[in-house]
Amino acid sequence: MAAPDILKRLKDKAGPAIQRADLPDERRLFVFVEPSALKGLCQFIFRDLDARYIISIGADDRPHSGRFLVAHNFAFDKEHVLCSLLARLPADQPRVESISDVVPAANWAEREFRDLVGIEPVGHPYPKRLVLPDGWPEGVHPLRKDVRWDCVPPGYDEHREFTFDEPPPGCVVVPFGPFHPTLDEPEHFRLYVEGEVVRGCEYRGFMVHRGIEKLAESVLTYNDIPMAAERICGICGCVHNVTYAQAVEQAAAIRPPERAEYIRTIMLELERLHSHLLWVGLAGHIVGFDTLFMQAFRIREPIMWAAEKISGNRKTYSLCLIGGVRWDLTDELKAELHAVLDRLETEWRAVAAVVSRDRNVQKRTRGVGVASRELVKNAALIGPVARASGCDIDCRRDHPYAAYDRVDFNVVVEQDGDVWARLLVRVQEVFESIKIIRQCLQQMPDGPIQLALADELPADRLGLSSVEAPRGECHHFVLTGEQNRPRRWRVRAPTYQNLQGVPAMIKDQQLADMTISLGSIDPCFSCTDRLETIDLRSGVTRVYSQAELLKLVRTRQANQR
Amino acid sequence: MNLLATIALGLLNAATVLLAAPLGEGLLRKLTARIQSRQGPPLLQPYYDLLKLLCKEDLEAGQVPSMQRFAACLAFAAVVAVAWLVPMGAPAPLNAHADVVLLIYLLSLCSISTLLAGLAAGSTFSLLGISREMMAMVALEPLLAVALVVGAVHEKSLRLEAVLSGSVYGAAGFPWSGLLTLLAVLLAFQAFVQRAPFDMAEAETELMEGPLLEYSGPKLALFKYARQAKLMVYCALFVALFAPWGLGLGQPLAWLWFWAKVGVLVLLVTAIAATHARYRIDQALRYLGGLLGVALAALVLATFGY
Repeated sequence: MAAPDILKRLKDKAGPAIQRADLPDERRLFVFVEPSALKGLCQFIFRDLDARYIISIGADDRPHSGRFLVAHNFAFDKEHVLCSLLARLPADQPRVESISDVVPAANWAEREFRDLVGIEPVGHPYPKRLVLPDGWPEGVHPLRKDVRWDCVPPGYDEHREFTFDEPPPGCVVVPFGPFHPTLDEPEHFRLYVEGEVVRGCEYRGFMVHRGIEKLAESVLTYNDIPMAAERICGICGCVHNVTYAQAVEQAAAIRPPERAEYIRTIMLELERLHSHLLWVGLAGHIVGFDTLFMQAFRIREPIMWAAEKISGNRKTYSLCLIGGVRWDLTDELKAELHAVLDRLETEWRAVAAVVSRDRNVQKRTRGVGVASRELVKNAALIGPVARASGCDIDCRRDHPYAAYDRVDFNVVVEQDGDVWARLLVRVQEVFESIKIIRQCLQQMPDGPIQLALADELPADRLGLSSVEAPRGECHHFVLTGEQNRPRRWRVRAPTYQNLQGVPAMIKDQQLADMTISLGSIDPCFSCTDRLETIDLRSGVTRVYSQAELLKLVRTRQANQR
Repeated sequence: MNLLATIALGLLNAATVLLAAPLGEGLLRKLTARIQSRQGPPLLQPYYDLLKLLCKEDLEAGQVPSMQRFAACLAFAAVVAVAWLVPMGAPAPLNAHADVVLLIYLLSLCSISTLLAGLAAGSTFSLLGISREMMAMVALEPLLAVALVVGAVHEKSLRLEAVLSGSVYGAAGFPWSGLLTLLAVLLAFQAFVQRAPFDMAEAETELMEGPLLEYSGPKLALFKYARQAKLMVYCALFVALFAPWGLGLGQPLAWLWFWAKVGVLVLLVTAIAATHARYRIDQALRYLGGLLGVALAALVLATFGY
């Protein structure tokens, strides 16, 4: 079943409610529907056609069409199609029926467009603020086009504390974060703990927003954005960089030179290698096995050096521009890369053998943080988390991009759905990545690495791109615009979906298992928090001097006494 | 032994423990680093650390500062007091004035000081930490008591010199009870000294150091010092209990021989800690519970003379 067949099924179902459909190629489908039919079609796609939910997007398109835009993106993994259901909403009444009760995975995304674009998801089961801080005034929606990127609205109370839900009776609240040694980024879980058992939790995140999407839509240009996109994440930055470039290229119907595609593949896999090794080390550290942490980081180091030789940076490769890449691979670099991979393979085999036999690690990870198949479907979990639960999905195979359709590799799948299964998946995927890079190095053709783009990119085109990041699918949505910049750019990092599955994974588990369960999805809060805009004056720029801090601490103590 | 000799010997023991403890920690860190392909800190780094912490301003963070000060001193004092009761290459200094029961009490006092520290600090994480510490203590204290009593049963005496001289093997025939006790204590030894895989009360990645979360400066130094000294004292106790041979070598050879054995034990502890993941508290309790069963079996055997 390809995109035209899916469109036919939708037409059979909804008939005249479908206003317009775009099929730029076999693998993309954009369907504009009546707002009133949106929810029913989403349910049909998600439940009856068994598509995977990706993300929902709200956009302010008033300057161009006089309407708001809402989109729900789905992936047909077996059919290799990415699909977007769009609806235009009237400017005076931006309301749309919430789909969260039929597609639970849409919970956050709908709250996010409610906060940032001001589109009301009617009938949302938990309409609490997600992204904006509680001190933000009502009615100011940062991603609307009439709000400046640096606006601080009157009435913004930066000192207002979060309001939290009431914990269930009989439970103690254990704060996990905003600063916790296992997580190097701020987020806040309020765990409801009974004895040593976690009964539930509330999540408040989005504390380190840098307004990257708003910047892209108002200040940056097409070729600046890849560099900004890369800085969304310190671990899988190259993924965002490539995903964005591909989304724009798809929207503008540009195909980069073949050599550039191979180089993108190689860099993405290098990134996966270092990320998997880093994660296995961190998992060891979380369960108190620091030797594994140290050895994994030692083995990982040559990968960083190789990346530095290629791009000039250990991380943050600044790889893509629209229509190509910036760094070429010389024969000397290729030979070195081969040597690095050979050594890595030998050393990682030793580690894999030791870890897979280690009874202590198994004791701490088996049966812990289990994600059932049902949870994977409902929360739209992705990447190693989904593959460890027996869901055979991998964007590299299902929605091939760059040169992945020309290389041969296996998708590692485990069945148990626990942390141990995730560990096995990631340990094994290292070998697949090595295989992919070797094939790329061998097959890579000569030729240019960058297209010369003479014309301006066309406006008002839609682009979708999914890239398999180390942690799961990274998805970008682009609506092209005027003035050499996109009108709307929406980033969905893998953690955004996987984090929504965590409360179900940790429920009724030991408190000691909380860190490894959370760690097992490899959460990246800077990815998830990429969105909030104008927080310049709050915590971000406030710097306490040591004296001020001391004073603060002491006065608080004096007050307590 | 006259009073002066007792005091001199006691001071020697205490001084040795206090001086050697950071060195033991340094050894531990260096070996751990080697296992992890790291360079590791200088051998003397723990001394510098303690000095630095001791020289810092004594900040008070927590709910009952006086209690917190007391807990820090108690932790330190308890360990130093234990040093007077354990023979370290020479007969125990307080041989004539104390017995095994006092030894057990003083060792429990070490855990109780951690308890006080956590309670007085009063943060959620310290409370969780001490609840784990309590649970571990409930399983560990009887194990220790049984190990000491097995020797006492054989010797029909609770005196230190009778128990801490390899008397666990004092059975009439093959020392079944002694070997079983040795097995139980050896397998639980990481828990006694609170190193991985039994460091869950202070698990950094779960509880952010648990009971010690609110401590800094001199108080933290005392806790850290006590923890390092505890490793020494427990190693010495183990050697005295299960491998006391060589006292006949004459001084100072016997003394050196004794501390060499302690050093080997420290290395063993390090190697195990560096190669194991942390247990969860329920897993640890099941494990320690099993060992307690073994130790009780040994005690029963001992009462029947095996």
